[in-house]
Amino acid sequence: MRRDFTWAAVIWVIVSVVSVAVAVFIMDPFPAVGAEEAGLIDDAFMVMTYMGAPVFAIVIAVLIYGVWKWRASGAPEEGVDDGPPILGTNWFPKAWFVVTAGLAVVVMIYPGLTGLAELREDDTAEMRIEVTGLSWQWLVHYPDSEGIRLSSAGGDELVLPNDTRIQFDVLALDILHSFWIPAFRQKIDAVPGQTTTMYTTVTGAGDADGDGDFDYQDDVAYRIQCAELCGLNHTDMAMNVRIVEREEFDEWVTSQTASAAKVR
Amino acid sequence: MTGVARFPIVQGLVFGIIGFLIGAAGTGFVRVALLGRDSGDWWSTDLSWTIAYPVGLIGWLIGVGGWRYWGREWFGGEVDQFAETGWKRYFGFSGDHKVIGIQYVVTFTLLFLLSGLTVMLVRYELAQSGLQLFNNDTYNAAMSFHGITMVAVAVAILAGGFGNYVLPLQIGARDMAFPRLNALTFWLVPPVAILLVTAVLMGGWETGWSAYPPLSTLQTKPGQVLFNLAVITFGLVSILGAINFLVTIVYERAPGMTWGRLPIFVWGIFAASLIAFFFTQAFAAGLAMILFDRVLGTSFFNSAGGGSALLYEHVFWFYSHPAVYVMVLPAFGLILEILSHLSRKPLFAYKWAVGGMIGIVALSGLVWAHHMFTSGMENYLHAPFLVLTELISIPTGLIFLAAIGTIWAGRLWLNVPMLFALGFLFNFMMGGITGIYLADVPTDVFLHDTYFVVAHFHYTIMGGEIFALMAATYFWFPKMTGRMFNERLGQIHFWMMFIGFQLVFLPMFDVGIKGMNRRVADFPSAYDDFNLFITASAFFLGASFIPFTWNLVISWIRGPIAEANPWRATTLEWQVPSPPPEHNFPEIPEVVGPPYPYGQPEVRHVSGPVGTAGAPAGGGGGGGGGGG
Repeated sequence: MRRDFTWAAVIWVIVSVVSVAVAVFIMDPFPAVGAEEAGLIDDAFMVMTYMGAPVFAIVIAVLIYGVWKWRASGAPEEGVDDGPPILGTNWFPKAWFVVTAGLAVVVMIYPGLTGLAELREDDTAEMRIEVTGLSWQWLVHYPDSEGIRLSSAGGDELVLPNDTRIQFDVLALDILHSFWIPAFRQKIDAVPGQTTTMYTTVTGAGDADGDGDFDYQDDVAYRIQCAELCGLNHTDMAMNVRIVEREEFDEWVTSQTASAAKVR
Repeated sequence: MTGVARFPIVQGLVFGIIGFLIGAAGTGFVRVALLGRDSGDWWSTDLSWTIAYPVGLIGWLIGVGGWRYWGREWFGGEVDQFAETGWKRYFGFSGDHKVIGIQYVVTFTLLFLLSGLTVMLVRYELAQSGLQLFNNDTYNAAMSFHGITMVAVAVAILAGGFGNYVLPLQIGARDMAFPRLNALTFWLVPPVAILLVTAVLMGGWETGWSAYPPLSTLQTKPGQVLFNLAVITFGLVSILGAINFLVTIVYERAPGMTWGRLPIFVWGIFAASLIAFFFTQAFAAGLAMILFDRVLGTSFFNSAGGGSALLYEHVFWFYSHPAVYVMVLPAFGLILEILSHLSRKPLFAYKWAVGGMIGIVALSGLVWAHHMFTSGMENYLHAPFLVLTELISIPTGLIFLAAIGTIWAGRLWLNVPMLFALGFLFNFMMGGITGIYLADVPTDVFLHDTYFVVAHFHYTIMGGEIFALMAATYFWFPKMTGRMFNERLGQIHFWMMFIGFQLVFLPMFDVGIKGMNRRVADFPSAYDDFNLFITASAFFLGASFIPFTWNLVISWIRGPIAEANPWRATTLEWQVPSPPPEHNFPEIPEVVGPPYPYGQPEVRHVSGPVGTAGAPAGGGGGGGGGGG
């Protein structure tokens, strides 16, 4: 029995180390980072991966060792081939219960509640933008920037100034939609009859893929994507997102108002 | 009429159609009477279906046997006794739990295969960006059909099929507590399937399986009404089935079958039935409110009329999160059952495993809003639902404790049902751990509605419950059919399905994190490589069901005759012939010990030989023996 525990423990350590190593060195799951909150969320994801790996490895270790050590060659013979009657009425289940409960409490506090508090602690913003979902397009209104209005149906891009904390007020005109920019990580539903809010500190301008050029169009993470099934053209309810430096944003505002004036 | 009466299904269909037409004509008549003949507005799909369908449903139930075997006595008449024997029993109204069990298994396996073929088309569409096979409209219809049919299969096949067949045998009962209610419950299922298929033929519906309003109230597609009626009917199946199981388990146990001696599968069904009984009404009520909004013009979910779209999400998830435990609790019971028999060890920490199941029941109704972290609900609800959801991992951990403790130092017989049971442990572990990311608010606002979620719930439901279903199918196949399956084909099925499953769903986690959202017909071309790989794997996974179907069909027809107890197992269903005789036991057995007395020669589950199977089955002269 002691040998069995030792071997299973060895396998457990190996599987844990290998899976954590895979998570650290090989796994590279995240899309481009376009907002400060993305760092917090990606870190929480990795912390849970590191915590989950050894738990996963316990079951895998017993599976591997059990199949290797205790596999029967064929149909068992009545009475002869029974395993030992280990009923589990000793201390072991109690210890298991305490340890798993402890792990659950740890995960719910960190990265759970602490992460939630961090995500929600700052509800100030330097700029407010209204985003409205309407089947099947995104309408954007910049009340702080000359009241510019954009529409994904008109082929516009959502243009955002870098290093700015933005409050997105999200509305829906007909049915549920969901406002999501993968590079910012967060999403919030657009609900008819209600204004929902999402705060984001944009940090995305720069070189996400390290090729010396900021080419958001190659990076699908810089798009608004509707993330709540909204019927027929849900698939196509997307809008590109462009992040520019502050001066460039101001120029863009000027050009937009100029062209709007021309139209008018 | 006597000619039709020989074919209950035909008679049911005829009566059902007549009932439907009466309902539709009556509705039309009232409409014309109210609105005037000039309006010409006698048919509206929403209204006519909503009224005509229940009338048709009653006609169907009368025709299929509900009148002949039950209804007559409410009006002072004499009912017929269930007299059909042979294969014909399976196509009519029968109160025999073993007939009903097989009816459920076969019906839902067919629905499973149909839904599986649908998703092969969906994967074909998703093999690359752009639209190939479907357009946005037909894609939504196919995806929605796959969703709801698989949910129905997952809810009903383990409890309805194997629960019905095996549970009365395991507790030493002659049948379920309410055999005629049991038959009625099953015969509510075909209308559900007919409605869903009809809905697709009428152009489908576009709201997935979740039917979120306002889309479900505003869209003009008639399929939505059929969907609502189908799922309300299915809710009735779930509730009636749950009541029958609860009463059977409480009142029909054999003498000596104390709660502590119940096979763990019975506990799984008991726990799942509690949840189905308490929560299913919520979903039915939500769908009925959608119908009211559509048909009567109420505004439950219409904000312009004072309603709230968020209200539906709360009502829906209040059932639909517990529903995943309705799917998975019988699977937990079944896996522990199979691990114990095929490791030839008593179930490790039996009481803790039961405690885990009851703990899941207790928590199941307190975690629903973790599906709504991005819904715009009040922010102060996020922390409590995060905490409560993380708590679920504790009772689930106890199930895993029992599983690995049972494997430990056992004599693992790695046959097909055992392989599926071990595969379940791997898959459900993946599903459980990835669930933690979705219970955590910061990571959930990122991952919600992405393919990460798709991968997660397929790991729990397909990798978990459907693997358990496969384990159960192979494990009890000899008992139910009296014939053995082909072991080699079964092993091929397992390895194809297990490897194919990983190749389909592991990459889905990755592509989801990288920003691909779910329920879309098209996607940015950046995700092309992932999707091509997933589709190729999906075809391989789909192909694994060819040896499965072939094996079971051929073995059922001409497999070798199975002995009463091919696994040398201790529980009661193995102590009677395969298949068991009508009413199961010539004499009700007396239970004297725990269900899995492996390795304890002095302990027995039942006192003496049971039925006629004592000698060949139980061995050692003690049919019920504990392997003594």
